[in-house]
Amino acid sequence: MRILIVDDSKAMRMIVIRTLRQAGFADHDFAEAVDGVTALAAIAAEQPDLVLCDWNMPEMNGIELLRTLRAGGNAVRFGFVTSESTPAMRHTAEENGALFLIAKPFTAETFKTALGGVLV
Amino acid sequence: MTDTAAPPAPITEEHVAEVAGAVWDSFLGLPLQRAATPEPPRGGMSGIVTIGGAWRGAVVLQCSAEHAVEAAEAMFAAEPGSLSAAEVADALGELTNMVGGNLKNLLPEPSSLSIPSVSAGGDAQVFVPAARPVLEVPLQSGASVVRVTLWQS
Repeated sequence: MRILIVDDSKAMRMIVIRTLRQAGFADHDFAEAVDGVTALAAIAAEQPDLVLCDWNMPEMNGIELLRTLRAGGNAVRFGFVTSESTPAMRHTAEENGALFLIAKPFTAETFKTALGGVLV
Repeated sequence: MTDTAAPPAPITEEHVAEVAGAVWDSFLGLPLQRAATPEPPRGGMSGIVTIGGAWRGAVVLQCSAEHAVEAAEAMFAAEPGSLSAAEVADALGELTNMVGGNLKNLLPEPSSLSIPSVSAGGDAQVFVPAARPVLEVPLQSGASVVRVTLWQS
């Protein structure tokens, strides 16, 4: 499977990939994007199986990216990895078609739990 | 008529220590506890995120340049001395974002968090215009001081 990691922090993209490997998902292919605009182009070109996306980013944030994808008929599996995790944000994420919201900081166990049923 | 002041932040020193400690432990593998002596970090770097909406203010994270490099090397799993200044700033910005984002979770909704910005050099003193510091929490990672300050507009 191809997994696109979207985050404006290079350090965080590295940590997400490292944690995915620690959680037992090392066999998947990883790609990176730095914001929603870049991710939109990457999703169209590479058609990933899963998008792991930060919420708060410049240019186009995570929820704007998700809404743009769904408005365009793209049903790619999508989850948030974000430092903000209020009940309202979780509701908004779910309402717009996100499968899960992982709060930072996270552990490999968090990823196993959230992605276990998705990456099958 | 002036704007009504935002309510006091329902955030305590314990909240800040718990949130920052969890970030340092999870992503850096470094301890971070309440500082025994509140010595300010010197010659440091600062990260800042602002919060707007039902509660308005900023979260400022300050540490020495040496600790910022140590933290960045832990985040990137990088060899000592191998990171650029931009990569160190990226790491400190993300640490600030995580601390600020988790503290924002405790504040009145709806509110929004800015993209982090980072400054380096000099005394790294930070002032947030039209706001006042309402909570200052000195923390310690080994010999390094990390200071988290909550400003309220």
